[in-house]
Amino acid sequence: MPRTRKTVGYALIAPAFVSLFLMTIYPLAYVVFVSLHHWAIVPLIPRVFVGFQQYISLFRDSGFYQSVSATLVYTCAAVAAEMLLGFLLAWLIAKTRMLWIRLLYLLPAVTTPVVVGLIWRFFLAYNLGPINYFLSSVGLGRVNWLGGSTAALMSIILVDIWQWTPFTLLIFLSGLESLDADPYEAAVVDGASGWQILRYVTLPLLLPVATVILLFRLLDAFKTFDIIYMVTGGGPANSTEVLSYKIWHTAFFQNRIGYAAALSIVTVVIAALLLRSLIQVMRNAIHGR
Amino acid sequence: MLKRKRAGGLVRLSQQVVLLLGLSFFIFPVFWLISSSFKHDVDIFSLPVKLLAFQPTLANFARVLETTTIPRLALNSLFTAGANVVLSLLIGTLAAYGISRRHIRGQSLLLWFLGVRMFPPIVAAVPLFMVAAALRLVDTGLILPIVHLLMNVPFTIWMMKSFIDDVPLEVEESALMDGCSHWTVLRRVVLPLIRPGLVATGVFCFIFSWNEFLLATVFTQRVATTLPIGISSFVTKEQILWGPLTASATLATLPPMALAWIFNRYLVRGLTFGAVKP
Repeated sequence: MPRTRKTVGYALIAPAFVSLFLMTIYPLAYVVFVSLHHWAIVPLIPRVFVGFQQYISLFRDSGFYQSVSATLVYTCAAVAAEMLLGFLLAWLIAKTRMLWIRLLYLLPAVTTPVVVGLIWRFFLAYNLGPINYFLSSVGLGRVNWLGGSTAALMSIILVDIWQWTPFTLLIFLSGLESLDADPYEAAVVDGASGWQILRYVTLPLLLPVATVILLFRLLDAFKTFDIIYMVTGGGPANSTEVLSYKIWHTAFFQNRIGYAAALSIVTVVIAALLLRSLIQVMRNAIHGR
Repeated sequence: MLKRKRAGGLVRLSQQVVLLLGLSFFIFPVFWLISSSFKHDVDIFSLPVKLLAFQPTLANFARVLETTTIPRLALNSLFTAGANVVLSLLIGTLAAYGISRRHIRGQSLLLWFLGVRMFPPIVAAVPLFMVAAALRLVDTGLILPIVHLLMNVPFTIWMMKSFIDDVPLEVEESALMDGCSHWTVLRRVVLPLIRPGLVATGVFCFIFSWNEFLLATVFTQRVATTLPIGISSFVTKEQILWGPLTASATLATLPPMALAWIFNRYLVRGLTFGAVKP
């Protein structure tokens, strides 16, 4: 019995595992190989084996640390806001009977990312943007949304929140909708208040789905590219140059593919380490409960 | 009692206010986009923003539908996202069921699938392109549904596992006792119970594939190009063609919205009620 159980299990997992393994193993090996070379896009320029030299110069590059810190600030701030806002709105929507409202909330997520970037670049523009027009016409001053380092970072975080809260919202909502009714009935019978039900029944039951949303939003925010490419282009003064943008810029703008490959490997390692510790923390929290 | 009722009304009112405030933040830019697609160029950037008070025109839509390749690209996108969603949900849900119920080194496998999603697409694109070129798959309808599995299968597995974990084992076991096969149990017992999760996952897999830009630029050139690439082609070095851009972007929101609308009712609670009554 246990043997057949395991065999069935492997058969169920095989299609997903094999297809993804085939698509990732070669790129991974290739990137590691390239990262050990000086490598330009043009094939005529000789490719020189340099060992780990590019990794060493990477860790001496102050731009790299600036990029890591921008990525971390961006990821943490955007995802924290998206989780809170997404849950709050999903919780409110689940209590109403307004089914249509969740469709409207989906609109930012279905808008083509390139267009999202263009819309927000226009909305946040200093002189001709609608937001500053509104602020100055009600007597508040114009804000230089994309001009200063901090302001630009805050602005792209805002765009990320705008684009991805619908994602957290809808999945929280589907989690809320598939919860079992029994614990609620028991809680109501025991005379629990609305707040207690939320704290001790809903939130613990939603934990598995919340974990998935959190992990995937963290991963995706960590490698955000389109928003930065369209809205700030990494500026001003590299303040919004997150790691994925830096990889792209190094590879195709500075024509240093080898260095970009080393940067990608380090990026993936950083993301993996952070995720691992996060999962560990969450597992401890769940078991310690 | 009366006081309490009134307080409840106030709470409900403030909740609705929060919902509508949030809604206006999230949909105002999209309304601007949609209304711009019906504008003449002069009206697009006029301040204050004209959401409704302008001379409407269908010229942008006519231009996009009649003189550009957008309609053909829309078909490509529909096929790409549709085929990818079917494949992702199929192999992803099977794997999630396997990991959730068979307990075969589930944790390390799950982390590995997460690692696949972590891989920056720009890094995977170049080497995969060389493989695809050798297999003569570049610029065919097959390539994008396949490479989009890289982002959608890990997502499906994690989502579906979290939902399947919540289905009580007793439900499955009692069905097995009644003589159902494993396959029937999955299809007839487990899947209906996790339908909200399946629908939400499917809708987002569709959106991820529908909007995906980077892999689509690398793996298609002319024949199999998708909508995001067609839309961004209105951004040229010299200028942005806002009319066709907003019109095609507006059209591009329709299929995912239609999909969400069709499946909206399946997201509704009620399926798990009483599934495990004693």
